[in-house]
Amino acid sequence: MLKRYPTLYYISSRAVWYFITFLAAVTINFMLPRLGPANPVDIIMARTAGGLDTKAAMEKEESYLKGFGLVELNKDGSIVRDASNKPVQSPLIKQFFNYVKMCLKGDLGTSFLNYPKKVTEIIAGAIPWTLALQIPTIIIGWIIGNILGALAAYKRGVYDGVIFPAALLANAVPFFAFGMLLVYVFALQFNLFPAIGGYAQDLMPSMSWEFISSAAYYYVLPFFSIFLILAGGQAIGMRSMCIYELGTDYIKYAKWLGMKEHKIVFYMFRNAMLPQLTGLALSIGIMVGGALITEMIFSYPGLGMSMLTAIQGNDYPLIQGITLLVTLSVLIANFSVDILIGFLDPRVKAGIGGK
Amino acid sequence: MNIKGYFRPKTMLAGALLCGLISCKSNAPKTTNGEVSFPRNQTLYMAGFQWGEPNTFNPLCDWPAFPVGGNYNLMYEPLLNYNSSNGQMEPLIAKSYQKQNGAISVILDSRAKWSDGTPLTAEDVLFTFQISKTYPSAPTAYVWTNISAVSADSVADSSSESGKAERVTFTISKERNNPLAVLDHLQAVRIIPKHYIQKQLDAANKDLAEFQKVKLDKDPVVSGPYTLHSYSGEKIVLKRRDDYWGKVLYENRLPKPQYVIHPIYKANDHFSIALQQGNLDISSTFIPRIWQKEKQGVRTWYSKEPYFVPAAMSMLFINVTKAPLNDKNFRRAMAHAINYADVKELAFSQYSPNLEPGLILPFGTEKQFYSQEDVDKYGAKYNLEMAKKLLKDAGFKSVFNSNGELEYMTDSKGQKVPTLSIKSPAGWTDWEAMVQIAVKGMREAGIDIREGFVDASIYFNSLPTADWDLILHAPSVNSTPSQPWTRFESVLSSRNWKPVGEKMNENQGRFNNPKAKDYNYKVDSLLRVIPNLNDDAEKLAAYRALNVIFMQEQPTLPLVYRPEQFYEFSVKNWDNFPNESNTYTPPQVPCFGVGIKALWEINSTAK
Amino acid sequence: MKILKNLLKSPFFVIGMGLFLITILVAVFSPIFYNIDIHTRVGAAYTNPGGKFILGTDHMGIDMFSLLLKGLQSSLYVGFMAGIIATVLGTFLGVYAGFKGGWIDDVITMVTNLFIVIPQFVILVLVSSSMKEGRSLSLIALLIGLTGWTWSARAVRAQAASLKSRDHISLAKVNGVGTIGIVMLHILPYLMSYVCMVFIMQTASGILSEAAISMIGLGPFDTVSLGTILNQAMRSEALTDGAWWAFMPAMILVTVISFALYMINTSMEGVFNPRLRK
Repeated sequence: MLKRYPTLYYISSRAVWYFITFLAAVTINFMLPRLGPANPVDIIMARTAGGLDTKAAMEKEESYLKGFGLVELNKDGSIVRDASNKPVQSPLIKQFFNYVKMCLKGDLGTSFLNYPKKVTEIIAGAIPWTLALQIPTIIIGWIIGNILGALAAYKRGVYDGVIFPAALLANAVPFFAFGMLLVYVFALQFNLFPAIGGYAQDLMPSMSWEFISSAAYYYVLPFFSIFLILAGGQAIGMRSMCIYELGTDYIKYAKWLGMKEHKIVFYMFRNAMLPQLTGLALSIGIMVGGALITEMIFSYPGLGMSMLTAIQGNDYPLIQGITLLVTLSVLIANFSVDILIGFLDPRVKAGIGGK
Repeated sequence: MNIKGYFRPKTMLAGALLCGLISCKSNAPKTTNGEVSFPRNQTLYMAGFQWGEPNTFNPLCDWPAFPVGGNYNLMYEPLLNYNSSNGQMEPLIAKSYQKQNGAISVILDSRAKWSDGTPLTAEDVLFTFQISKTYPSAPTAYVWTNISAVSADSVADSSSESGKAERVTFTISKERNNPLAVLDHLQAVRIIPKHYIQKQLDAANKDLAEFQKVKLDKDPVVSGPYTLHSYSGEKIVLKRRDDYWGKVLYENRLPKPQYVIHPIYKANDHFSIALQQGNLDISSTFIPRIWQKEKQGVRTWYSKEPYFVPAAMSMLFINVTKAPLNDKNFRRAMAHAINYADVKELAFSQYSPNLEPGLILPFGTEKQFYSQEDVDKYGAKYNLEMAKKLLKDAGFKSVFNSNGELEYMTDSKGQKVPTLSIKSPAGWTDWEAMVQIAVKGMREAGIDIREGFVDASIYFNSLPTADWDLILHAPSVNSTPSQPWTRFESVLSSRNWKPVGEKMNENQGRFNNPKAKDYNYKVDSLLRVIPNLNDDAEKLAAYRALNVIFMQEQPTLPLVYRPEQFYEFSVKNWDNFPNESNTYTPPQVPCFGVGIKALWEINSTAK
Repeated sequence: MKILKNLLKSPFFVIGMGLFLITILVAVFSPIFYNIDIHTRVGAAYTNPGGKFILGTDHMGIDMFSLLLKGLQSSLYVGFMAGIIATVLGTFLGVYAGFKGGWIDDVITMVTNLFIVIPQFVILVLVSSSMKEGRSLSLIALLIGLTGWTWSARAVRAQAASLKSRDHISLAKVNGVGTIGIVMLHILPYLMSYVCMVFIMQTASGILSEAAISMIGLGPFDTVSLGTILNQAMRSEALTDGAWWAFMPAMILVTVISFALYMINTSMEGVFNPRLRK
């Protein structure tokens, strides 16, 4: 029935696909940490083992084991224990279903480091910073990169000679290395920009002008360290696409017709844009990974920094929560791009499938 | 369809930013009053005491956030303060103290008040101490090893308005008979408000675990000069209490900074960056190569080596219940194999005088108990040949490969010795380096040992239970009235000896098992006698005897001297911090014990 | 030969290949000329470059240049290992899916697309953080290879699918050549250029991934790589102490290697896809 609305059909089929991918991601998130030698129950036991004689520590341990659905429960909700008073672990498959249930309920467990704080609470505090840093950088980086790439392809000559190698170089610089370089030069050597944090520490987050301008000042270095690399990568792709388009018959024909240059550029740009959008969808994952490391370099108060502290403190629930959320956001970003493609790609509208 | 219509970057950007900012706002810390910024010239930034997100400010929790718990005097205050520069106890809530036969009593300052105006009385003191008797899991329960009873009465006092003053008497436990330790407790335990806590404890059905869930983070009732203003994962903000009772102790003056802010940094290098950029005034963290930062206004107690005042030792505790670590010659071989000069220089940035063997510091107040003669005779210094010889004599053989790297070692029976491991918290760069240098030396000497870096919380949990071969630990770092006795106690005492797996808070390596054949009763009897010795010659003899036993048995491996606490400050925004030439407080961070006096003396230089 | 000639005409190829060969030569042969033990301290912490030590020392007084050489070797090793694993796996799955078509193709494509959207970084973090012991260089390389194959598979599948309907393959089928035979004899040779390009990109991404994962402290234990050098420099205050020699050379090396590989890749694209040529 949806066939009559190809765009809608396309989008809903993508939605189903992404949901399946999400389930796969949840599975991976559950399975991978269990492949290592230390399993979560052991880690929780080791964490609280030193203080097992105190009631608080017992409660803490129980709340973890129950919270993650790792152990068998009696009817009264207490934990089943074996002869040596060790909790009896649930079978893996049961643990998995408990985990999926939790995830779908939006519960990612309790942090080790910041007990009794919920992982979701910590993530909620960090995510605005990450979004504010990454969404604009990715979008602006994509746009500027595409314009530069198109320019290099169309103008050739000096433009191409400068832009292309520069873009290649920018794309080759690792995110963290560039971040370190910016900190070293602009923050520590010349003291022009702050080296760490998201806003001046004498402020409280608020909607005041003072706070926003401070946040903007702290934004500069992390922004550039991501933006330049992203733009470089996009420019390379766009350049190839445009060169390809320039060689197509319709452009040749248009030129032969004597069409105005800006019109030709527009057509070229529009047609090269679609594959670039698909490319964006595919590379968002890589960008996000790189940008998270950038946050770590700048101690930007976002998800990357939370992830780093979680890694350093072996806070597994937090690590798992963040990885799941990062995956989820990448999926959402991909899905948004797919929807965009659904509206833009004439093939989708014609009902012959996108991608 | 037109592409342009779908790309409105500006709208999208604005949306994203707005969305970010709105959520930031919802994430803003709870402020009691609407302040959103703190003037630099009235704000002191200090860091290094709180590493993770603050969870609770409940003083009855095990690990409350700064400045609750620990020896901070900002919110809750102790009866007395110990001044390590002159060895004297100084008044705070208690005006004076007196040692009597079998007890120590204090006279309370009748002017002391809680922040809600209620007077701070003997009731509060009794409550504070009694609560850890009622609840053995309370964080200060340890005091009841040394105290057998607490009681209150009133005595005539001409200096107080009513002509009377309250007196609290602490009876020294007969079994331990240790007045030094009791004095320690009087400056370590922070008094809490009975009228405020009791009510909430009752509300939690008198269940301590239940009450520990209460965070006490909103308008807490405190007696100190500061109170909690707000907190978040990024910082803890304290605000000055202009009605602080204790200003009478300072000619009615208040501390200079209106705000004390503790930023929570998440990586080691942030402290140093913030100090150098003038964003942090005081740091209490290990910052390497401090001389590199001097041009940026970063200072320490001494302007030259060792930069800090050494007051304690970092050492490797050895699990002596395990073969081959139960062999004292093996332990002494280890002590000979460590390059102490490298530890000091590379791991500790020269922040230590050269290490002498033994447990007594050869300088400062402990120097009177130090004997160079004993140390030269019995001490183990870095000497690889000696280490190899000791191992060989004890029957150990080491097998090296063609590159000169150690492959394995065998004991006198020809059995392969399993690879030993040194447990230490991962990510503490200076500690990691110490362990690496120790491992390198020992492997060169032929001892099969490796680094075992673990998560800090796992480290803390396993320290008391001895599920390790060796562990890096700095015992009794605080400068207290009872040093160096406390250090000996924490390394050698087997009065609480428990088998591996159970918790011991001193002598974690299980040295000198009282049930073993070779139990050396002298150690524990010396430890019992010293706190009651008054004659200096007797004390010296006792300490020398203990130190010799330590050097002969080598139950731990001291690596380097370390300060009681790291104390770096920046002179970019405040000046007149105490230092070697301005010794109005001991080398302590201005929030810690008597160090808090500095808050009254520093001056803002910010524009 | 003709391809090589064409490649040599491209300045990108010459520069890229030149840079890359130089780094490999340095990594392989320099220990013969410059051999200072990286387990022994030779000077004070962060000794300035020049004098006895070309690049000074690190925070533990160890010769920086030797560390860098060791790091370069490790990083190249990880890069090649990861590159080979990802390329072989990706090519195999891609060719198989592209050639077979049908439900096998659908399944492989689905799995590929699935792992493309789940960030590699996330998987690396999840696995490395749960492996507290035995994180060796080879293991890290294996991990990167196993998580990075999706790109190769996608690229190769598209090519293989387009080859499938060519006449000579139909002819081979008619002549009764088996699937493996067709793939080996008739498809792979046509894909060699793609496989080469894929390998180059996978190697570059392997080197970058190792550096990134080491940078956040999840790298290999007991060994030196360019990433662990950067991590150590960051943690030991090289930035605040102005010890640029402790991080700048490693940063430059990582960048130069990936830049060189990107240049080679670009030049190959130009040669194999003439429309991109000027």
